[in-house]
Amino acid sequence: MSEQQQDYEPRIVAFLCKWCSSAGSDLAGVSRIQYPANATPITVPCTGAISPMYILSAFNKGADGVLVSGCHIGDCHYIEGNFLARRKMHLIMQLIEFIGVEPNRFRMSWVSAAEGAKFAQVITDFVNDLKPLGPQEKLKKVVGL
Amino acid sequence: MINLQDIRDTARDMLTKGEVRAVVGYRRGSRGMLAEPAFITDPAQADDLVWDPTCFHNLSLYLVEDRKFLTHLRKTANAPIAIVAKGCDARSIVVLLQEHYFKREDVYIIGVSCEGTGVVDERKLAPRLNGAHATSAAFDGDDFVFTTAEGEKRLSAREVMADRCLECRNPFPKEHNAVFGEDKTGRQLAEPFAALTKFEAQGSGERWDFWSHHFDRCIRCFACRSVCPMCYCDECVVDSITFPVTAETTAEDKANRIRWIERSAVRSENITYLMTRAMHLAGRCTDCGECERACPVNVPIRLLNNKMERQAREKFGFEPGASIGGPSLVASFLDSDPGDFIR
Amino acid sequence: MSKKRTGVFVCHCGTNIAATVDVARVAKEMAGENTVAFTQEYVYMCSEPGQESVVQAIKDNKLDSVVVTCCSPNLHEKTFRDNAQRAGINNFTCEIANIREQCSWVHNDKAKGTEKAIKISRSVVRRVNRNKPMDAIAVNVTRKAMVIGGGIAGIQAALDIGNAGIEVILVEKQATIGGRMLQLSETFPTLDCAQCVMSPKMVEVKRHPKVKLMTYSEVQEVTGSVGNFRVKVHKRSTYVDPDKCKICDHCTVVCPVVVPNEYEHNLTQRRAIYIPYAQAIPASFTLDEDACLGLNPVVCGKCKDVCEAGAIDYDMRSQTVTEDVGAIVVATGFDLYDQANMPEMGGGKVEDVLDGFQFERLCSASGATHGHILRPSDHKEPKDVVFIQCVGSRDPAKHCAYCSKICCMYTAKHARLYKKHVPDGRAYVFYIDIRSGGKGYEEFVQRTMEDDDTLYLRGRVSKLYRKNGKVRVLGTDTLTGQNVEIDADMVVLALAMVPSKGTVEIAKILKIGRDKDGFLAEAHPKLRPVESVTGGIYLAGAAQAPKDIPETVAQAGAAAAKVIALLSQSTLSRSPLIAKVRRSHCTGCGMCVEACPFTAIRLDNGKALVNEALCEGCGSCSATCLRAAIDVKNVTQLQIHEMIEACLAV
Repeated sequence: MSEQQQDYEPRIVAFLCKWCSSAGSDLAGVSRIQYPANATPITVPCTGAISPMYILSAFNKGADGVLVSGCHIGDCHYIEGNFLARRKMHLIMQLIEFIGVEPNRFRMSWVSAAEGAKFAQVITDFVNDLKPLGPQEKLKKVVGL
Repeated sequence: MINLQDIRDTARDMLTKGEVRAVVGYRRGSRGMLAEPAFITDPAQADDLVWDPTCFHNLSLYLVEDRKFLTHLRKTANAPIAIVAKGCDARSIVVLLQEHYFKREDVYIIGVSCEGTGVVDERKLAPRLNGAHATSAAFDGDDFVFTTAEGEKRLSAREVMADRCLECRNPFPKEHNAVFGEDKTGRQLAEPFAALTKFEAQGSGERWDFWSHHFDRCIRCFACRSVCPMCYCDECVVDSITFPVTAETTAEDKANRIRWIERSAVRSENITYLMTRAMHLAGRCTDCGECERACPVNVPIRLLNNKMERQAREKFGFEPGASIGGPSLVASFLDSDPGDFIR
Repeated sequence: MSKKRTGVFVCHCGTNIAATVDVARVAKEMAGENTVAFTQEYVYMCSEPGQESVVQAIKDNKLDSVVVTCCSPNLHEKTFRDNAQRAGINNFTCEIANIREQCSWVHNDKAKGTEKAIKISRSVVRRVNRNKPMDAIAVNVTRKAMVIGGGIAGIQAALDIGNAGIEVILVEKQATIGGRMLQLSETFPTLDCAQCVMSPKMVEVKRHPKVKLMTYSEVQEVTGSVGNFRVKVHKRSTYVDPDKCKICDHCTVVCPVVVPNEYEHNLTQRRAIYIPYAQAIPASFTLDEDACLGLNPVVCGKCKDVCEAGAIDYDMRSQTVTEDVGAIVVATGFDLYDQANMPEMGGGKVEDVLDGFQFERLCSASGATHGHILRPSDHKEPKDVVFIQCVGSRDPAKHCAYCSKICCMYTAKHARLYKKHVPDGRAYVFYIDIRSGGKGYEEFVQRTMEDDDTLYLRGRVSKLYRKNGKVRVLGTDTLTGQNVEIDADMVVLALAMVPSKGTVEIAKILKIGRDKDGFLAEAHPKLRPVESVTGGIYLAGAAQAPKDIPETVAQAGAAAAKVIALLSQSTLSRSPLIAKVRRSHCTGCGMCVEACPFTAIRLDNGKALVNEALCEGCGSCSATCLRAAIDVKNVTQLQIHEMIEACLAV
């Protein structure tokens, strides 16, 4: 790997549901578990509230990876939101992969409020999987001559 | 074999009796053999109606236009509107009904079965005619018969029909008020999603080369959106230009428009547009193929929609346009929905 | 629109944030945002001087919104919001940026941590820019409750609510309250007489000044939402005035109609005019118009002739009454799994094969056999009785996947009762496991096994059938590895508990969910076991899941407590961060209506309309809408879009 590539730090946008994954992320903090700083969290009320347009928009604005994380199936604070998310995210993931974007750039996880360690691991794994892919250029906005 | 006179008589009859206020159908166009959409309000015009292999338009688009026109004029319809609908078009109408775009009693569906021969794809036909100019086309059993200056040309429908017709499972308008032609559901010419399967056999690199090439070529003319009956949104999320200002529009609404993409027709913005459209059509697209036919630069848009449709069918057991009271794909879920992609 | 004036307050949190995030730089970067009018750092923003400095800064700089970059909002969001309100700006224009738990505590590379803290802060600043001031929504509350179902759960809930001084209507489908518990002979593990425990409670319900009892009645329709339900109840006519009826029994004797007695589980008959049990509340007879020879015109009329109290009135009519209540408790109980579903256990057609309730009625002194355990076929005393556990339960392949919880205990009870009534009888119990987790339960089962010589066989029964006047039971004993054949005089099946038919119906009427086994769905399996997903509707008893009497009573009390809390306010305060429809963009497609987990949206005149009392602000509607015509206030798509831009430093 060249020096430039070694310096490459993937930028991740992480959509976390307020009740489970954001709380899980807080628990990782309380437990002082260290993990890479590449993911900037955006807390939403529920994964069900995540429109596929957010994913496309994040990639369009240059995100190297997008993470969606919510409550485990059956545990959604709003009962059904994560079921709806499961379907929509599956579709957008399949579509992104279909046009030839590396499938590893989009990731979805279920992290509960008690899974601080898992949250840290999810981010760590994601960063490690993104590094060899290099910066995301396929969907990134390039306008003007 | 459909007797064209039956269709004409039905239209004339309904218009004369005032049972419908207009009939949306096909008539001979001004360019050679091609049919064009027709809006008939006078019973005498009923004899203009045609039914031939060039009737590929999805006329349900005009039901949407009609509804928008009425809304704009703040009018309510005093009678239903009749529409000549093929199997694929009838499914589009079902989706529109599912989404309450109009009521079932507002539309009288005159179903016509393509009887399994589908409609012609001009681009496939051109090389077969070898430069000859066709002045008319007709159904004849499993063949299409074209009349040219050099005489009749008979071709097996299979060779020149649209790809979507080859793959079609349901060449019969299940939802109808009246129907003409035989039900040839079950005739298999090509595997459904044949083109998609072939495409997906390629690796990710090849797929990106293919798509990036096409995304570069897209000129964002929005013909695909304009011709699609499902794209009836007053303001498309990716595009603020068609923002309708109604009595209910507030200053806040105007200020809060989201600019998801830039207006320039460059690759990244085209991708966001086309993929958003594919997502929004997931579970709603009935593969009428008009988007691809209308595209002036031949972007293979159908592949994107087919990909979503295949996911819907195979992973979620979902069929678009199956029944008026049915669930919508993205507003519902099943316990069996795949979840192993989730860590 | 005047320029936004946001104040950004960066907390050091001692060294918790400042050690790994360059807080001065965060403040500086935020000052560069064009909506930020003021920035400040402080060592402990949540301390009193810290909060005061925020109040002062708001006033001095005429700030209209606040971002505090500090610890998780779970800790101090409310504190800072109340603080903002004190300073004169709306509390919903104050947002927290979490740069501690989600940043400073987990990244020790200061450069990278600071970059991330800047992105997080910037995204919240951009979000706050679009926040609208909001007031909590006030919903009026009707200070009255309804309990549907008059078993022990419903009775307990009604008494607890009534004792808090709140009017409560108790609606019961049968002619008497008491439910399943009244049908029992004794209860485990104390072997208390069930009627002795129930009767005082039932009488208390009848006499309670705050409880209005509606028996022989069913809920037909419910509209409205939390705090304001309108319920239509169909009160069937009993044709007997309960105030006049002296329960003297003269009418029953002359009634010519004989029908199976459902209260005795068809072990015996009753007349068309009857009282379910001696202890029935209301203490009155009931005329079953479906069994009666005819009332319109009167065909027989004998009961009225002999009624000295003049209580019988053939002109009494059913009525539909409408009640307004603020909260509803659903306690509609359970049924037993239908024997017809178990052909290997006789399918309900083999004589002398009973279910648990039938056995209870045999044991009960007030039952069909006056407390003598007799075979229904020939009224002889059974000397060999086989009890089979797990009939229909724990069978994911063909029947119910779940464990019905109480069968191990009541089977042990049945075996004990049997031995008490028939000391020289032999009792056999086929079991898979013994589940006896309550207080005194394990000891009870052990006593049954040891003291009473009840033979516990660990194995299942494959088949039973009638042979030579007995019931031949083919089972196995896995501990010895032998097959077992018993020619039993009587077999008692511990059938699975299933939600009652009434539960299924009421769930549809109330539009509350049921789980995969058909029991009423609780809002959260661990933390909210007595609330349904719908606000204002609570659950109690076996309708929610199989459970025993102590758990039922506890749950009923819990549901009552929730009702009391809800109704102790004159107005309900709800979070205003709920969905809002942009009517100009809504086409009435109905996808949001379908997606909403709370059925809080409906189509009204062709456009979506959100019920403010039901919307929980989850945003499922907003992600489903193809045309961004519905958004959750202060978490709009535009705000998320701008937050994404901020995260990517665009």
